[in-house]
Amino acid sequence: MKGLLRYLSPLAPDQSGAVAVLYGMDCITVVCDAGGCTGNICGFDEPRWYDKPGAVFSAGLRDMDAILGRDDRLIEKLADAAKRTDASFTAIIGTPVPAVIGTDYRALSRMAQKKCGMPSIAVECTGTRLYDEGASDTYRTLFRKFAEKTGTEGPVHDNTEKQGKTAGILGMTPLDISLKDGRPYFTENERYRDYSAFYDYGMGAGLEAVRNAASVTENILVSPSGLAAAEYLKKKFGTPYRWEYPFIGEALRQELVSLAGRRVLVIHQQVAASAARDLIEEAGPSDVTCATWFLQPDPMKRPGDLHLETESQFVELCRDGAYDAIVGDPEFLRAARMSGYQGTMVEFPHFAVSGVLADE
Amino acid sequence: MTERNAYYITAGELAALGPGNIPSELLSSAHLIYSSPAALSFNSPGAQGFGVKRAGLAIPGSVMLLVAPGCCGRNTTILSRLGGYSDRFFYLLMDDTDIITGRHLKKIPDAVREVVDAMEVPPTVVMICITCVDALLGTDMERVCRKASEVAGLPVLPCYMYALTREGREPPMNAVRKSIYSLLEKTERDPAVVNLLGEFAPLTDDSEIYEILSAAGVRKVNEISRLDTFEEYLGMSRANFNIVINPECRLAANDLSARAGIPYVELRKLHHTERIHRQYELFAAGTGMKIDDQAYRMEAEKEVKKFCDQYPETTFAVGETLNGESFEIALSLLRYGHKISEIYGTVTAENFVYIKKIAELSPGTRIYTNLSPSMMYYDCSEAPADVTIGADAAYYQPDAPNVPWNQEVQPFGYAAVTHLFRQLYEAREKEARR
Repeated sequence: MKGLLRYLSPLAPDQSGAVAVLYGMDCITVVCDAGGCTGNICGFDEPRWYDKPGAVFSAGLRDMDAILGRDDRLIEKLADAAKRTDASFTAIIGTPVPAVIGTDYRALSRMAQKKCGMPSIAVECTGTRLYDEGASDTYRTLFRKFAEKTGTEGPVHDNTEKQGKTAGILGMTPLDISLKDGRPYFTENERYRDYSAFYDYGMGAGLEAVRNAASVTENILVSPSGLAAAEYLKKKFGTPYRWEYPFIGEALRQELVSLAGRRVLVIHQQVAASAARDLIEEAGPSDVTCATWFLQPDPMKRPGDLHLETESQFVELCRDGAYDAIVGDPEFLRAARMSGYQGTMVEFPHFAVSGVLADE
Repeated sequence: MTERNAYYITAGELAALGPGNIPSELLSSAHLIYSSPAALSFNSPGAQGFGVKRAGLAIPGSVMLLVAPGCCGRNTTILSRLGGYSDRFFYLLMDDTDIITGRHLKKIPDAVREVVDAMEVPPTVVMICITCVDALLGTDMERVCRKASEVAGLPVLPCYMYALTREGREPPMNAVRKSIYSLLEKTERDPAVVNLLGEFAPLTDDSEIYEILSAAGVRKVNEISRLDTFEEYLGMSRANFNIVINPECRLAANDLSARAGIPYVELRKLHHTERIHRQYELFAAGTGMKIDDQAYRMEAEKEVKKFCDQYPETTFAVGETLNGESFEIALSLLRYGHKISEIYGTVTAENFVYIKKIAELSPGTRIYTNLSPSMMYYDCSEAPADVTIGADAAYYQPDAPNVPWNQEVQPFGYAAVTHLFRQLYEAREKEARR
C-alpha cells in the first residue's frame, strides 16, 4: 500500500528543511503549528539547537485559531516577539494545519511586514513533502526577496587576506550533509585554495551574504536542494554553478574504495550518492546504482539511477536487486536487513533519515 | 529598542494579581511558543519521554499505526531505537490530497490488516494515532476504528495526538489515558484488587503504597506498565477501585467509573511529609482502610533532617521537567526551611493554591515560563541557586549541582521524599568534594 511504512520511519519533512536554511540568519522564524511540529524540528531535525538555540518559535495555534482563521492573532504574537528579539526579517513556515485551512501566506507575509516593520517571507510547507523541497523553496524565496544586483561583496568568513574567487555554498544544511558545520571542508581544504571567501547560505552566512549573492564568482551545490536557487541566480545575475560533495571522511572513503569491482547500491541525497559512486568507480570498474527518496534533478543523475517512492519499492530493490553491497544511512540498512538483504552494508549517515550525524 | 530580558514575575506579585489575572506573558496561548532546549518534551505532545505515541503503546502486545503527514511521525525514529519499540510503530503517511479530502480514512482498515498480517505474532490491539489534520477534518475515528476492527479481527483503538487541543477539555495526554483503559469492561469486582492509574512506568518498588495496601488486605495492585499479557490487562476490570496518581488520568478514571463501575480516589505526588500523612489519613477515611504510615514517615524525615542539618537554608531553583508539580515541590522545600530563587513552571489557576503559600513564605521568588520567547535571554547570574531540581533547571543554571528528578520509574509518597533528599544530599556532597 502506498504510504504504508512497516520498516522505515518518516523522513525529515519540508518544514525542517525550511527552518534549517534560515537557521543562523538573523530572522525570527515562526512555524505555523500547534507546537508539535516545532518540537520535532528543534528537538530532532536541528542538531544545532542545543548548541545555539535560535529565534525559532511555534505559532502555538489552537483549534479555534485554525477554525476561525485568526491570522491577526498570529501577527500580534509575532509583533510582540519582534520587540524582544534582534532580527532583520521574519519568516513564516507552513505545516499541515495551515495547509488544511488554506492559509493565504502572501497575505500573512504582507501583514507581518507591515506590523513588524521589517521584511517578511513565507514558505508554504505542508509537512507531507520532504525536507529538501522545503529547503529548496526557502532558498529560492530568500534570493528572490533579498538578492540585489548592486550588492557589494564583503567577506563573511576567514581568508580575508586572500585574493581570488568567491563561492556561495547552496544546499548545505545539517539535513543534507549530516554535519553541524560544513565550512571547514571548504576553508581548510587545499582543493579550494584559490578561493578567498565562502558564503555558506544555510550554515552561517547571514542576510548580508544573501543580499550580495550577485557578487560571488560561482555557486557550489552540495545537494539538490540548492539547485532551484542556483538556477535563479544564474538567470538573474549570470552566476555559474556546479555541484560536488567534499564531506566524505577518510574512513568512509576507504570503505567505499574497497567496494570497487562489485555491484553496489548507494542510497542518499543525489549529490552525496554520486560522490560515493565516483569514489568507488575511481578505484576500479564497478556497477554502481544511486537511489534516492529526495530530489533527483535530471542533470545530477545518470541513466539507471532510481527514485524511491514507496517502501515496497525499496524492499524489493534491496531484496531482489542482487547487490553485493548497499551504502546508506543506518536506518535504511536496518530496514534492508529486516527485508531479507544479506550482503555487505556500509554506513553513510544521512541526518534527514536517521537523525545521526556523520561524526557522531 | 529590543528588550533583552527573560520575563518573570515574583510570587508575591503573582499572588496579588490572583488566578483571574495571570499576566499574558505566562499564558502560552497569548504569545509565540519558544521550544526551549530546556523543556522540549513539554512543548511537543509526542517529543520525549512518555508522549502520546509511547503512552499509546501501554497495552501489552499492542502496536501503533500513525496515520498522519510524515512530519508528525518524524521524531518517532528515536522511539524506534528504544528497546521494545522498534517493531511496534507503523506509519500510513498522508499526502497533500489526503489532508484536504480525508481520503486516507478509507485506507486505514486495509492498512491495519496489512500490518497485522505481516507480523509473526499478531498484536493484541492496534492503536490508530491521528494528529492535528484529523482534528480539523473532524474525523470520526471511533467509527473508522470499528470498521478496521471488523476487517482485521482484533481491537482497534483511537489515539488522539491533537496538539491543537492542548488546553481543551480533552488534552492529548488525558485522552490517551482514557483510550488505553477503554477496553476494560464491567465485570465482577474483586475487593482485593486495586489499580494504580496515571503513569506509564511503575512506581518505585520501595514506595510504601504497596505495603500500605497489602496491610489493608489488597492482594493485587495492578499497574499497566507491570503487566506482561493482554489477559492481565483485561484483569484490571476486576479492581475494587482505582487510585489515580496523576491528575491527567481523571478523564480515564471518570470514564471507567461511568462505564465499568469502578470508583476512584485521587492521591497526589506530594513532597512534604506532613501533607503526605494528611493525604493518607483522608485516604483511610475514604476507603475504610486502616493505615499506619509512621515508619515510612520517620524514614523520610530522617533523610530530610540529614540534608537540612548539613545544608541549612539551601537555595533551590525548581523546574517543571520533573516527576511532580514544580510549585508543590518548591513550597515543600520552603516549608523545610530552604529558599527558592526561581521556579520555571506553567502557571494555571489550579496551582495558585501553592503559589499563594509560596508568596507568603518567599514573596521574592521569581516565576518564569519555559515557553516564553523571552527565555532566549535568560541570565542565570541574576538569581543563582545552590542546587537545581528538574532537567530544565539544569539547562538554565548549568553551574549548579542538579537533581533531574525525571526518571521513568515514578517516585511516590514518603519514598519519593526519601529518594529526593538522598539525591539532593549526594548532589551537594559531590559539589563540595569538587
